[in-house]
Amino acid sequence: MKFNKHVLKENLTGYMFIAPQLILFLVFLVYPIIEGIRLSLYRINYTNEVFVGFENYEKLFQNPVFIKATFNTVFFVICIVALTVIFALFVSAAIFDKNAKYVSFIRGAYYIPVMVSMVVMSMIWSFLLNPANGLIPYIAQQMEMSTINFLGNPKTVLPVIIFVTFATNVGQAIILYIASMIGVPKELFEAAEVDGASRMTIIFKILIPLVKPTTIYIIIMNIIAVLKIFVVIQLLTGGGPNNSSNTLMWFLYNNAFKFNQLGIASAVGVIMFLITLVLSVPQLRAMFKKE
Amino acid sequence: MIKNKNKRKREKVDVIANVIIVFFAILNLFPLYWLFTSSLKNSSDVIKMPPDWFPKTMTFSNYVDVFQNQPALKWTLNSIMVSLITTIAVIVFSSMAAYAFSKLKFKGKNFIYIIFISSLMIPKEVMIVPLFRIIQDFGMVNSLNGMIWPNVATAFGVFLLKGFFDAIPDSLREAARIDGAGEFYTFYKIIMPIVKPGIGALFILNFVQVWNDYLWQLVVGQDANSKTLMVGIASLMQDLNPNFAYKMAGATVAAVPMLLIFIFFQKYFTKGLAIGAEKG
Repeated sequence: MKFNKHVLKENLTGYMFIAPQLILFLVFLVYPIIEGIRLSLYRINYTNEVFVGFENYEKLFQNPVFIKATFNTVFFVICIVALTVIFALFVSAAIFDKNAKYVSFIRGAYYIPVMVSMVVMSMIWSFLLNPANGLIPYIAQQMEMSTINFLGNPKTVLPVIIFVTFATNVGQAIILYIASMIGVPKELFEAAEVDGASRMTIIFKILIPLVKPTTIYIIIMNIIAVLKIFVVIQLLTGGGPNNSSNTLMWFLYNNAFKFNQLGIASAVGVIMFLITLVLSVPQLRAMFKKE
Repeated sequence: MIKNKNKRKREKVDVIANVIIVFFAILNLFPLYWLFTSSLKNSSDVIKMPPDWFPKTMTFSNYVDVFQNQPALKWTLNSIMVSLITTIAVIVFSSMAAYAFSKLKFKGKNFIYIIFISSLMIPKEVMIVPLFRIIQDFGMVNSLNGMIWPNVATAFGVFLLKGFFDAIPDSLREAARIDGAGEFYTFYKIIMPIVKPGIGALFILNFVQVWNDYLWQLVVGQDANSKTLMVGIASLMQDLNPNFAYKMAGATVAAVPMLLIFIFFQKYFTKGLAIGAEKG
């Protein structure tokens, strides 16, 4: 009898401690996911909702703008993630064993754009690239390049967005790699050095394989971050010219808050939700293994 | 001899790599240099070509304009309120939950924790339509509450702090219990002071993340006075005003607090971010 009472009390204490977090979690995370799936099956006009099954999804896959947005998003993800991982590995592997002041200078220089945020960086790039009075078109003109309006040209707009996003966010990956590389036991490098291995061999044969968990983490986090790419699109191109830089998140936002197509927007949200869920499986599996 | 030659060759690759890295680091900072200097130019100098690489005459009038013609002070206060309240709520709620998951025994503990962790990677932006409807139902559109609470719901803090609680031996809690301390007293007075470094890292990471959050604040804060600084200064960009110096002054106002935080708390960043990755 007494034992049962004790267990009951311990259970209650546990629930009390998690209650505030759990309630917010249910209201603002779990419920929206369920509600989002439900809304994606309805045609919605203000307060009037009609069940239409998978009609919203069918419409999406017949919509060339959605196809373009999906293609662009996938293209951004592949290019930006590849650039980020390669460049961050290059920087971190070259500096991680140098003196602490130098490491913190380089780390700071690459991380500061992350700190000041994509919004501020997009505003600066928008000014730098402005065809009428920006610095970059001016330099391009001096160099007699054929294009000076890099954001207005469907051929150059995607590379520019890729570069701006990459340059702004690569600092995050560099910080993570440096932390992980500093944690590798020095004896491993020393042993290889004694055997006459060159720095390149040490980097490729010892260092990079050892930081593989960090690489996986960086890849997954960056895929998900680029998947929801929005700020740079809104502030640099507005999805243009002629939808050539449209992305899934920009498409979702416009359908939800400009065209009032809530059912369609919800369907895009559900598709993005499923993609992130699948992508996070390897990461989650690694996490539970450690638990 | 052979070893020496080998070493010199190795250094050469390394030196070239580091020269490239320093060059790109400086190049990467150039846009920020351009931001600060442009914000100090007048409306005609800022678009002059060829440009003044260093402003010839410096003026603070753009900053005065931003604060006089726009409710920039209100935006700043909104940003501070939203970031601060969100962060404090995250710390209180997630430290309680993390403590329970780490130290207490209750039915369904593992199941609930798995659900929490599984949500970590899902960005709230994909559920923005139903989330906005909830905020509408609560009457929280154009209110700071609407920006705050959905951000408190994320489980990142629970995940980060649980690692710190796990590192504390159970005997400490049991000793306090034997002395007759209640569960909440034990948590608040005995265990919490030990996880201070974790709380510090979470505070900084979360504050910066909310300060720089954009899309959700854009959706919730629609009228001019309920905008946050990021949303407000981004709206200057769509302004018809052709004066870029003025827009750059706005962007500088939004960037400076984060630069200061980074300079003063750099240690917390490198640590906090690495903890997230290590656990992952």
